[in-house]
Amino acid sequence: MAVRRRLALPAWRPKGLLGLALLAPSLVFLGLFTYWPVLQVLWQSLHAEARRQTVFVGLGNYRALFADPAFAAALVNNLVYALGTVVPSLVLALGFALALSSSTRLNAALRAILFLPVLIPLVAASSLFLFIFLPQVGLLDHYLAKLGVQGANWLGDPDVALWSLMGLTIWKNAGYYMLFFLAGLQGIPEESYEAARLDGANSWQRLRYVTLPYLRPTLSFVAVIALLNVVTQVDHIFILTKGGPSDSTNLLLFYVYQQAVERYDLGKAAAATVVSLALLLALSATSLRRMERRTDAEEAR
Amino acid sequence: MTFHWLRQAKGAALGAALLAGIGSAQAATEIELFFPVPVDGKLARDMAAMLKEFNEKHPEIRAVPVYTGSYDETLIKTRAAIKAGKPPAAVIMSANFLTDLAIEEEIQPLDPLIEADGKTPDAFMGQFFPALHGNAIVGGKVYGVPFHNSTPLLYYNVDHFKEAGLDPEKPPQTWDELLAAAKKLTKREGERTTRWGIMAPSNYDYGGWILQALTMSNGGLWFNSEYGGEVFYDTPSMLGALTFWSDLVHKAKVHPAGEQKGPGVSTAFLSGQASMMLLSTGSLTHVRDNAKFPYRVAFVPRNLRNAVPIGGASLVQPVGLDEAKRKAGWTLIKWMTGPEKSGWWSRATGYFAPNMAAYETPEMREFLGKNPDAKIAVDQLRFAGPWFATYKTVAVRKTIEDELQAVLSGKKTPKEALAAAQKGADELMRPYVEQTALKLPATN
Repeated sequence: MAVRRRLALPAWRPKGLLGLALLAPSLVFLGLFTYWPVLQVLWQSLHAEARRQTVFVGLGNYRALFADPAFAAALVNNLVYALGTVVPSLVLALGFALALSSSTRLNAALRAILFLPVLIPLVAASSLFLFIFLPQVGLLDHYLAKLGVQGANWLGDPDVALWSLMGLTIWKNAGYYMLFFLAGLQGIPEESYEAARLDGANSWQRLRYVTLPYLRPTLSFVAVIALLNVVTQVDHIFILTKGGPSDSTNLLLFYVYQQAVERYDLGKAAAATVVSLALLLALSATSLRRMERRTDAEEAR
Repeated sequence: MTFHWLRQAKGAALGAALLAGIGSAQAATEIELFFPVPVDGKLARDMAAMLKEFNEKHPEIRAVPVYTGSYDETLIKTRAAIKAGKPPAAVIMSANFLTDLAIEEEIQPLDPLIEADGKTPDAFMGQFFPALHGNAIVGGKVYGVPFHNSTPLLYYNVDHFKEAGLDPEKPPQTWDELLAAAKKLTKREGERTTRWGIMAPSNYDYGGWILQALTMSNGGLWFNSEYGGEVFYDTPSMLGALTFWSDLVHKAKVHPAGEQKGPGVSTAFLSGQASMMLLSTGSLTHVRDNAKFPYRVAFVPRNLRNAVPIGGASLVQPVGLDEAKRKAGWTLIKWMTGPEKSGWWSRATGYFAPNMAAYETPEMREFLGKNPDAKIAVDQLRFAGPWFATYKTVAVRKTIEDELQAVLSGKKTPKEALAAAQKGADELMRPYVEQTALKLPATN
């Protein structure tokens, strides 16, 4: 027993050290640029700054945050924005992928066209949409007028602005998600479809009972990415609306920016960052775990 | 032995330090200038050319221009540089940020530098238009030197005026005349409006400024220019101004509803879909270069008096600079704001030159002769006053802009909007007010 342990030890030790040594470069960078800043933000969220002096305020920043109606508005906006962009862009992306899965020359061209918005940086796309959305003179209103439809003040009406931004987001992201679904579709064995056909399954049944189950891991993965994008992409808000009119398009990340820059309230900005980070972590942890569990269950089957 | 070695090392270190000291005394003092470009990209090149000339004329200084984005981004980057202990020696800062920066003790008064030159602060500021003093002097001390400035202006389409039977020689001077002209200029096809009589921007930053112009034209002030803890939102002068704007939209229907963005307004004007607009003098060059029709400019129409706020930027010095950099930065600031450079920059950008002597230079006289619209912008300066600037200016401004946008979208009445804005602003400024105006001697 003792001999075995002695033998086991040296075998284990260098292995662990080697692992650590291999991890070290990325650990150093992760530590410096991810975990250290996270700690700093946590520290900052417990302090207030005024006249170049820093005071400890405990949970004061968090209390101020939850008492701020603008923060509540940003949370609600972000929720609406999440539902209104993730679901349609996933459905569209899946639809595109299914329609363009076979490799013909036409399909390749169409895929490229649908992928094009992904290549345009969000900042540039937003600057373009500033002019597409211009009331009366913009492209959108120009063509609507030809159809005899009265346009709207797309970015200037508090009831419409968030929906305009959602439209832009869907346009921008659907092509990207389509790529993942295309890749997922490649992984479905042809035999499964053949078996389904032999069993007399129609095209809807083949989609429902063959394609979708096979795509489930892809779907969960893309859903997580899409949800992260909802919280981390803010360029279009910055360029197009700055959260307005009347805070109707203010999202969490832009709210953080406002607190830090416009109000110079670094403590509250840090507190808002911690809250959004916690939300994001919880979200990705649950969806990733669910994804794992499902894959395990499928393998067990 | 050890002792000896240590002494040697110390001596060497001292020698190195001395050498370094001599070296830096001989080499040029290196300083940075943070500058935003609020108008367009070409200005970055103009700024580089300007500093190149400065460096040639001042061999003892090497000034490096650092492009820092928009006004807001320049503020962020300046604050970051101060925190990092490497502040730039001069920053071109949006003129309405100075009060807040002075309250937060992030910029320093320039009075000692002015006095070291053998001038009084009053005499030094005397070379700039009086309208610009309010935003440069905080609590009796000079914190900024005006660099480029603007005011709102009424732009109008001469063809549309003629077509509607209005005399382009007589632009509307009062709110009555403005409304009457806007009604004549607005065109409709059934329910659809194909041409608006007047447009004004109401996006964040711009909306507050235009509303201040209307409030001032209605006898109001917007804020207490002597004390950074007060705004006058819930007042008759502002109620009148906001109601007038709201009526143009919802009653007369001569102005489109909802928030309008600056670029949207200028595009509508340039494409002939709006006959008049209220916009910054800073857009003069853009409109001059792009209008395919004759246009004119006029003072912002009044209800009670002619009055507009200034806009633009001043040169400031952050805290935490060493003496050499501070002096070098000051030399740069004086040079950039002198009559010659002031005029040159004005002609390049469309902003007016803050230095009054700039308008005495032959180049400027020639320029104004060719561009009478630029002259009207300068004439309006006689009626200009300070831009709103308080503790936490941007946030305090946003409280009224959110409400302005709600009113223009028909979601609130002007009365309830102003009450809400006043409440929000007071809440924001409370920490400062409690430390200043409400900090009283203990009576027990």
